[in-house]
Amino acid sequence: MSTAEPGWALPAILGRRTLALLSQLGGLALLARDLGRAARPEAGGLDRVELVRHLHRMGVRSVPVIAATAAFTGGIMVLQAAPFVEQFGAKDFVGFFATFVTFRELGPLLIGLIFNGRVGANNTAELATMVVTEQVDGLRALAIDPVSYLVLPRVVAMTLTMVALVLVGDAVALLGALGVAQVLLDVSLAQFLDSALSRLETWDLLVGLVKALLFGLGISLTSCFHGLRVRGGAPGVGRAVNASVVASAAGIFVADYLSTFLLP
Amino acid sequence: MATAFPSPGSLAALRFQLRELVKLTRRTLEMAVAPRRGGRAARRAFAEQMHLVGNRSMPFMIVTMAFIGAIISFQTALQSQEILPDLSQVGATFTKLLVRDLAASVGALPLATRVGAGIAAELGSMVVTEQVDALRMNNADPVETLVLPRFVACVVMGTVVLVVGGFVAFGAGVLVGQVAFGIEARTFASTALLNGGDVALGLAKCATYGGAIALVSSERGLSAFGGSEGVGRATTEAVVGSCFTIIVLNVLLSTGGHFLLPAL
Amino acid sequence: MPIRFANVHKSFGAKEVLRGVSLTIEDGECFFIVGASGVGKSVLIKHLVGLLRPDAGDVFLDEEEVSRLSEHALRPIRKRCAMVFQSSTLFDSMTCAENVALPLRKHRGLGAADALVEARRRLAGVRMEGFADALPAALGDGLRKRVAIARALTLEPEVVLFDEPTTSLDPVSARRTDQLIARLCRDDGVTAVVVSHDLSSIFGIADRIAMLYKGGVRFLGTPEEFRACDDPVVRQFVRGEAEGPMEV
Repeated sequence: MSTAEPGWALPAILGRRTLALLSQLGGLALLARDLGRAARPEAGGLDRVELVRHLHRMGVRSVPVIAATAAFTGGIMVLQAAPFVEQFGAKDFVGFFATFVTFRELGPLLIGLIFNGRVGANNTAELATMVVTEQVDGLRALAIDPVSYLVLPRVVAMTLTMVALVLVGDAVALLGALGVAQVLLDVSLAQFLDSALSRLETWDLLVGLVKALLFGLGISLTSCFHGLRVRGGAPGVGRAVNASVVASAAGIFVADYLSTFLLP
Repeated sequence: MATAFPSPGSLAALRFQLRELVKLTRRTLEMAVAPRRGGRAARRAFAEQMHLVGNRSMPFMIVTMAFIGAIISFQTALQSQEILPDLSQVGATFTKLLVRDLAASVGALPLATRVGAGIAAELGSMVVTEQVDALRMNNADPVETLVLPRFVACVVMGTVVLVVGGFVAFGAGVLVGQVAFGIEARTFASTALLNGGDVALGLAKCATYGGAIALVSSERGLSAFGGSEGVGRATTEAVVGSCFTIIVLNVLLSTGGHFLLPAL
Repeated sequence: MPIRFANVHKSFGAKEVLRGVSLTIEDGECFFIVGASGVGKSVLIKHLVGLLRPDAGDVFLDEEEVSRLSEHALRPIRKRCAMVFQSSTLFDSMTCAENVALPLRKHRGLGAADALVEARRRLAGVRMEGFADALPAALGDGLRKRVAIARALTLEPEVVLFDEPTTSLDPVSARRTDQLIARLCRDDGVTAVVVSHDLSSIFGIADRIAMLYKGGVRFLGTPEEFRACDDPVVRQFVRGEAEGPMEV
């Protein structure tokens, strides 16, 4: 029924979506440019007090969720590999397989998604609430640049935090994989570690960390952008959070895909 | 009370939330098994939710799953080069992995982000604007009028979306196999390793994750308090809680599947 | 620092809020902008610190054209010209002392610890030293407003804009706030621009009054003239009558 309306014709929907996507990308680019300007010392520079506060709130307090996620991820990887290990008799490869995939792909990806849900959404909600309750105007009236005071410490904190969390997550995932391999597949500790350490390269770990850096930067910019752009009072805050989380999730998958191919 | 889902330092809060979740799950399941005869309004609520979960999430999920399929295929082929002499088995392995686990488990995370955030934001703003109280004053049970349609929609349409997404991922995987590794599409698109157990396990995962997303997000949304900030918090907790629940359920289902529906 | 609005126009979407407002506010004056709710009083004063830009017309502060300045160039203006918002706009993730310390830290170059010490001293100036470590959400409207005033005054501004400083306060807190504003003008030579529809404040401390109506200035003069004005719209407002020619 609604297809009869011109606004719902497929080209119209596609056009609207494309325009919305482009305006979002443009807004992100502008925010990134403003950030570059705000980082200069004469513009206020990086606020240390805020940075420390966000590092604690976003980083330290995310460790339990991230650690639990990572432990399960490591376990799941071994579980998925189990049938093939049994089929091809490749017990020597379990350690390598689990760590390789976790370090390079699943670790950053899953931690990124959880981080997006926890920290990204929270960040958008906080900034959007500040805009709606005029706290951002209050900041401007105090001659303090919102980008340098609000956005810059958040972006730096989220990016650093994401990398640190992936490092922690990698370590915990290794333990999870080790446990499941031992219990389910009867792969010994030595066998597992030997398999992982002999075949794994530093580069595999680095690829994961580079991804974490990209995801952290993407999530932080997206969540700040959506938070500051909020429209329409209190209900707008919910909408902004929703839009930010979905946009970041899509961004994570696209960035993951690109970096998988570009970082061999 | 107001803490992030698996909250650090506050096991009591986590236990409380879990108990609430179990209670909500039991009530919803009871209603789903023995539904009272609903009028036209109830049928419309179901249709609306189906549309929201199914049709409205489809574009986002298709894009996301295409990237997921490409990444998994790429990694599977890369892994197999290490273990196997030739690449003829890669397609079959990829297909089995996708059906048995990854289409459902990885796809459920973006689905949780998109659908879970929506449910929590919507129910949360209904709670803080006292619309839920108004419902109860009219003797309408919030679980029956709000949670049940979302639960059924997520189980049914969540499965549909994830199955469609699985096919998209499969297509993207075949494409990557062809382009990046030169594996003939006919060789790659092989179901040689697939058995009934894989399909059953995969579908069970889809349906379970769908239901979990609806229940966790509804519970968080209904327990929102404190204005727009509370809605933002509920949204955050819904996304993190749903993702985390999916990962835990994955471990349970994969372990169960390992013994009950063996891969080989 | 004289303030001059010259034929300011501002619309939000299809809604024309200001349709040519012209006003001059002298140094050291306690100037009240009054009018019915939604008439554009807050909108008008937000133009003064560049939080809003006019669609047409100009805003001058000390012969400097505020309406044309970039966000960056507005910074020195905003240090000389502080604003107390209607909703107080305290940052709710910080304690009261941290709220007041922020501008000190940012603009006076004080370290975090020194800024906090100075902030406590400033809070004592508005009799809020007992609440220095409380979060704003834990305070009532009146107390929040006092912290907001302390924060606005940290940089010793020459002009302070008050957006409905006594709305939603109890009568005692409201008169105390009036006293504070009056003291600022009298003792420190600060220019106060107050948006209000509180008749007790208006007739208590105003030097001059401008009444906005339908996007323009309907009345401009002293409190005595305001009370004696025979314009039916002004008379209805002064007497607070439900029936009359005034349209909302």
